[in-house]
Amino acid sequence: MSEAVAQQAEEQETEVDLSIADKVIDKYIDLPGNLMPVLQGVQDAYGYIPRKVADHVAERLNVYPSQIYGVLTFYAQFHLKPRGRFIIRVCVGTACHVSGAPRIVETFFDKLHIGHAETTPDLRYTFEKVACLGACGMAPLAMVNDDTFGKMTVQRVDEIIAEYNKRPMK
Amino acid sequence: MVNLTIDDKQVTAPKNATIYEAAKINGIKIPILCHDKKLKPFGACRMCLVEVEQMKGRQIPACTTPVTDGMIIRTSTPDIIKARKMVLELLLLNHPIDCPVCDKGGDCDLQNLTYEYQVNANRFSDEKFHHEIDYSNPLIERDMNRCVLCGKCARICDEIVSFGALTFISRGIETKIGCEFEGALNCEFCGSCVSVCPVGSLLARPFKYKARFWALTNHKSVCSYCGTGCNLTLGVKDNKVLTTVYDENQGFHNGQLCCRGRFGYQFINSDKRLTTPLVRKNGVLTEAGWDEALELVASRLKGSGASAAALSTPRLANEELVLFKKLMETAGSANYDHSAGYAHAALTEGFARSFGATASPATIPDIQKSDLLLVIKTDSYETHPVVGFEINMAVKNKGAKLNILSDKRGKLSKLPDATTLVHTPGCEVAVINAMAKAILDEKLAAGSAAAIPGYADLEKALAGFTPDAVAGQSGLSAAAIRQFATDYAKAGKALIIFPIGNAYPGHNADLASAVANLAILTGKFGEGSGVLCMAEKNNSQGAVDMGFYATSGLNAGQIIDGCASGAIKTLFIAGENPVVSYPNRAAVTAALDKVEFLVVSDLFMTETAAMADVVLPACSFAEKEGTFTSVDRRVQHIKPAIGKIGKSRTDFEIFGTLIAKLGGQAPATPAAVFGEIAASVPGYAGMSYASLGEVGAFAPVIVKATFVAPKAAVVEPVAGKLALVTGSVLYHNGTLSQFGEGPMYVCPEGYVELSRGDAAKLKIEENDLLNVASATGSTKLKARITPRMPEGVLFSPYHFGAAGINQVWSGAPVTWVTVTK
Repeated sequence: MSEAVAQQAEEQETEVDLSIADKVIDKYIDLPGNLMPVLQGVQDAYGYIPRKVADHVAERLNVYPSQIYGVLTFYAQFHLKPRGRFIIRVCVGTACHVSGAPRIVETFFDKLHIGHAETTPDLRYTFEKVACLGACGMAPLAMVNDDTFGKMTVQRVDEIIAEYNKRPMK
Repeated sequence: MVNLTIDDKQVTAPKNATIYEAAKINGIKIPILCHDKKLKPFGACRMCLVEVEQMKGRQIPACTTPVTDGMIIRTSTPDIIKARKMVLELLLLNHPIDCPVCDKGGDCDLQNLTYEYQVNANRFSDEKFHHEIDYSNPLIERDMNRCVLCGKCARICDEIVSFGALTFISRGIETKIGCEFEGALNCEFCGSCVSVCPVGSLLARPFKYKARFWALTNHKSVCSYCGTGCNLTLGVKDNKVLTTVYDENQGFHNGQLCCRGRFGYQFINSDKRLTTPLVRKNGVLTEAGWDEALELVASRLKGSGASAAALSTPRLANEELVLFKKLMETAGSANYDHSAGYAHAALTEGFARSFGATASPATIPDIQKSDLLLVIKTDSYETHPVVGFEINMAVKNKGAKLNILSDKRGKLSKLPDATTLVHTPGCEVAVINAMAKAILDEKLAAGSAAAIPGYADLEKALAGFTPDAVAGQSGLSAAAIRQFATDYAKAGKALIIFPIGNAYPGHNADLASAVANLAILTGKFGEGSGVLCMAEKNNSQGAVDMGFYATSGLNAGQIIDGCASGAIKTLFIAGENPVVSYPNRAAVTAALDKVEFLVVSDLFMTETAAMADVVLPACSFAEKEGTFTSVDRRVQHIKPAIGKIGKSRTDFEIFGTLIAKLGGQAPATPAAVFGEIAASVPGYAGMSYASLGEVGAFAPVIVKATFVAPKAAVVEPVAGKLALVTGSVLYHNGTLSQFGEGPMYVCPEGYVELSRGDAAKLKIEENDLLNVASATGSTKLKARITPRMPEGVLFSPYHFGAAGINQVWSGAPVTWVTVTK
């Protein structure tokens, strides 16, 4: 709970432009069952779902704020914290696990100074372990956004980070 | 009805019943954890698994499976028992099993089932949960470590309370019940979730570590706050009411209660209770004996005639009100009244002339049978919360349409398909008259309407209330008014609901007659229809039925004026607290200061009692016998649950002794007085304590309809000022709830609610201390900024002694005020 509370406190500080959310809500306001498209739309617009936006959606759609939170936490697709520009996913499924995925994960942790499901303070990277990416033939596998890196090695972690450090943030 | 076999027994059940219900009706017990008769079937816990021969090989949840003809059901085969045992093992896997310190012990479904199924070992092992316990509020403790995820709390909060504070969070093994963003519980604190929790996850904190469940003696009673007449079970130990106990089979409301009903009982055993009579000596209230105090009161009343007057709270029992009236008559005075003299006018004047009866031609159970509810003021939820639950259920479960006419939005406005017309404050009567006009114009009136007395006058008088004419002053569109009129007239069954009370001076006789005209015009009476006027206090309707209001004497307002002018020399106030609950505090205080002799009988040293010459300690509802009459005229019998506190006496005993001292004759027991009531009060005929039983009885209302030519006071806006409307807040009722810990935890002080627009204009932020001033006076109150208020309108609850809004409020439906920081 404390983490969520801290996040809330942090968000109280930052101003969120609700007019962006309003545009999404206006588009779906008369559609029955509009909660999912609205939440997906606002997540696309903000990159994640800030607390104030969730509360605003609740008020505009006349849905309980608790219900919105229930939906947001049920689906893996929704994020309540800002996400990195580049999402690094390392597969830890069976095939990747036996080909050394844990060491690759550890190396990313060390280099980026973040853990699973965390984001670097500069919002460049979010790191996630995933159960299976469905490409066991390329094990061990990593992905950065839509780019795939098969037959991963610990050495290639530095190369990948160096490459994406060069990319623009927008 | 369908025929089926349960455990080799031939039984019948209604065709829409579930297997669980069919078994229950026929006395066969199927264990449940997640099922509740008030909630929709859910099927989460799998305790109710049964075998159905036609569905061989599968175990079927009894709580979600409907019965079919010829079904052969077995509820306790060895396989079923094995399955249930495993369900319990899995439920206990992560549960802390901390029964010795759990307040639910002895009343816990999980504990009882574990015992019943002899689950004395667990084949599985896993880590326990490590959820933080929510101690953030003083009323409801949430310990999710004990939770079995039955979802009853989240479901009741949605399906009945319609607040939606709780929900399932996350997924899979991480699933838990919580609030948005895992924050603290911040809700209405009705405690419905606590009442249905089958384990110790949700507990009433005021009762924690007070007593084991089995040490309590349960006493059935009736709530003494609002007029809904909810049934209560008081949990008593050592002459103390320690809690309210949930009983799902109690009352029309199935044990549902609001915050004040469930958590407001502490006034009964409050340390602040008056325990001995007090007599003012040398300016100081000094302890005295009953003889001395009553002798003094009797000597003042004896032969006082019209110079004596009485004000009573409508919280007293019917029997006590009859004796109080008798006491004043013995003293030779007809000056007695209650509720500020105007709060009952909708019944005593409005309905009296429209219906020929001083009661509502509808009952609370009609709400869920209706097709359309026309609610005047969203406050109907706050004044009578359990009636509000009925409205929620009618709308959400029964598909009733909800049309609200209000000066602000409110919780009811959020219900699905609710339409709220927010009008300029004080215009409700004009709008309802315009609806009547629209019904006439569009020929939607019942064919028989023209034959009802007063029709011609009504037609003539309504000429001034065309929707177009009213649209301007009310701020509504004529089309919206016409739509409301059409909705009402065309609905098969339509029920009009409005609250009355000290804080609603605009809900007067004119309003009552205006809504009565609507109902009479369209013939909307009978089951699911009618008009429900909801009086404020637990026995407000009883006080009207007992005739405890001014008929030939002075009314409450005139009595206060009489005190000020010196015409009234002796004033006996029982339970009422006019200094706080009547408008214009300065004038009331001056009048009570002026009156020669003031007697107050009360539970507490109220602001009014502190001004008295004699203070008599009275008993609460939990210490006496009598009857209360609810807003829909359900007469219910209460009996003492505890002995009297200190030297307090019931008002019944006080009035009886005084009548005797004045040389009159008073019946000795409440039962005897109720006998008199049954013999004399219309509708109560044939009733006795024995016949009322536990469920009470409705005193029928016979309507003799008459149209009353409508009037409507026009509220003229005052430039540069804001319109202050007063009312009740959800957690309080009158001034008594200030002595209930629960209500005071949630809502400890008065406030003034304003719109976001006005707040921005006046640069006001939440909790800013505002100076609210009118021609009557001023007070300082904290600001609350809410989206529900329209611009230019302020709302303030009236219950509070400190910084009370009655220092500002003139008694008019709308008070024009200025607000400064």
